[in-house]
Amino acid sequence: MFKKIWTIFLRDLKVNIKDFLSLYILLIPFLFAIGINLFTPSINDTTVNLAFIKEENNQLVTYMEQFAKVEEFDNLETLKERVERRDSMIGIVPEEGQYYIMIEGNESDMDIEYSKMLLGLYETGLNIEDSKTEIIEFGRTIPPIKKTLVNTSVLFISILAGMLISLNIVEEKVDNTISAINLTPTSHNSFLLGKSIIGIIFAIFGGLALVYITGFGAVDIGKILIIISVSTIISILVGFIQGLINDDIMTAAASIKLLFLPLIAAVLAVEILSEKWQRFLYWNPFYWAYKGNDLVLNKSGSWGQVLIYAGIVLFLSGIVYVFLAPKIRKGLE
Amino acid sequence: MIKVKNLYHSYKKDDIYQVKDVNFEVEEGEIFGFLGPSGAGKTTVQNILTGLLEIHKGQAEVAGYDMKNISKDMFNKIGMSFEQSNVYSKLTALENLKFYAKLFDVETRDPKDLLKLVGLEDKANMRAGEFSKGMKHRLTFVRSMINNPIMWFLDEPTTGLDPSIAADIKNIIREKNKQGVTIFLTSHNMFIADELCHRVAFIVDGEIKLIDSPRNLKLQYGDKMIEVDYIKDGENINDSFSTILNEDKKKLKEIIDNYEIQTMHSKEASLEEIFIKVTGRGLV
Ligand SMILES: Nc1ncnc2c1ncn2[C@@H]1O[C@H](COP(=O)(O)OP(=O)(O)OP(=O)(O)O)[C@@H](O)[C@H]1O
Ligand SMILES: [Mg+2]
Repeated sequence: MFKKIWTIFLRDLKVNIKDFLSLYILLIPFLFAIGINLFTPSINDTTVNLAFIKEENNQLVTYMEQFAKVEEFDNLETLKERVERRDSMIGIVPEEGQYYIMIEGNESDMDIEYSKMLLGLYETGLNIEDSKTEIIEFGRTIPPIKKTLVNTSVLFISILAGMLISLNIVEEKVDNTISAINLTPTSHNSFLLGKSIIGIIFAIFGGLALVYITGFGAVDIGKILIIISVSTIISILVGFIQGLINDDIMTAAASIKLLFLPLIAAVLAVEILSEKWQRFLYWNPFYWAYKGNDLVLNKSGSWGQVLIYAGIVLFLSGIVYVFLAPKIRKGLE
Repeated sequence: MIKVKNLYHSYKKDDIYQVKDVNFEVEEGEIFGFLGPSGAGKTTVQNILTGLLEIHKGQAEVAGYDMKNISKDMFNKIGMSFEQSNVYSKLTALENLKFYAKLFDVETRDPKDLLKLVGLEDKANMRAGEFSKGMKHRLTFVRSMINNPIMWFLDEPTTGLDPSIAADIKNIIREKNKQGVTIFLTSHNMFIADELCHRVAFIVDGEIKLIDSPRNLKLQYGDKMIEVDYIKDGENINDSFSTILNEDKKKLKEIIDNYEIQTMHSKEASLEEIFIKVTGRGLV
């Protein structure tokens, strides 16, 4: 049985590296990784974002502009709204001649400590010129935009894995070769597994290559593998279905591209929407996969947390599987 | 080797059957021809017997395996050449055969020998997508014998091939049969059936009209055809008539009465004419 699964996989691999479209897909993780590396160093996102109330204390704002990115708001209300958005934005709010720090809760400790310290420095009247120490790198070494891009790309690659599978299924359909396979002692399960391997290997190796090339190699690879594996399941299922119901590569690819919508929705939700909107994305496996990846890329997720996210993705994929599996079986007959 | 009992098949799973109450048996070592016009249900029956189509109603047994409950092992023992070639266009002829061979659990034949058998040895490394229709058909044909099947299904094995290649294929079929392989052959070509088959079944509109050996059929219907050349409205016309069917007799009498006869002689009926006579239908 394993011999047959392997035979089916090797055939796909042989065809895929000779075919322009699939070869292109196989190379995408590397292209993305290089693109991310070229693009992100130019983004200056290493400092903290601070929010102030306009005209309240211009001296303070000028002071802070030396160390942080500053935004001003008309009143406390608008400032508060801004802080509540998902990204890292810390409010500096006056109250009875003092200042306190307003946070939403998702800001990193580093950012909060940094803001506190800046405020402390200001209050003691220290200036950059008269400080003997240098404030070198309080921010993160990795710009968050890079992490977002890597995370999104890893999930994007899992969708491409589905596309790769659908290309190979469409090939079998166009050549009408599934009926020939059905006349050999190869079970449907072996066929499906054999056809899945190329997608699984692509998602895993592509994801890992991307993570390494973009400089995230120090993260826990085991955890990232778990998240990649579970988030690839849905793409594989959709890849099979689209391969079986479409007679040409382009329409199959176009249908699979629809999977990018929930992926993008998940990324935007996590990065931009405030907490109260998050629950509207709980149905979306990419949402959980994205959050899981984020923890791993932050190096802040414990195995327990990662497994919970992976478990949710697996559960949601299971529901999709229950719906799609009979259709896939039927399509093979 | 094959036992079929009260077999029905409806593609839409309704009361309109494309195969109706089909019964027959094929003995071990026999070449059994399944003959009928296009759309008669030949491929449908063959697909049920190879497990490609699910059996809904009736019974069928192939090589000792019950088709209602197919064991994967059966596929090590049977082979089928498809009516429409189905090979991977992106693989070469050789790669196609090598890949297919690995999917069996039994010893398989050397792909190169097989290609040689149908004159494709020079094209072994050419992608099947660049093959002509006939070349693809030959590749599909030899692929079906890669696992040394004891039960061999052939759907229109010579259709669309040039005469010399068709002759080669016929020889391969005869040779395999001599080695003991049982063959189920589907065709609407009566000549190949006449040449190769021990017995034939005539199938029309999903129903079997008759099963017998070509020899018996000819004895029964032979010498009973009259071929006439006559002139009608200044045109030369050639036609043949049965001497037992009343309708034919009437027509023949009318021609003799009304037109100028050029030649007229009795002859042995061809399988095709017998088919038309028995089923009242042409073969195309
Ligand atoms: N997949 C299908 N779905 C619905 N009807 C079908 C299907 N395949 C065949 N049929 C119908 O079943 C009948 C028998 O078709 P079949 O292919 O068995 O004929 P055949 O005798 O092999 O003809 P040919 O000589 O043209 O190959 C036809 O009426 C055909 O329209
Ligand atoms: Mg047919």
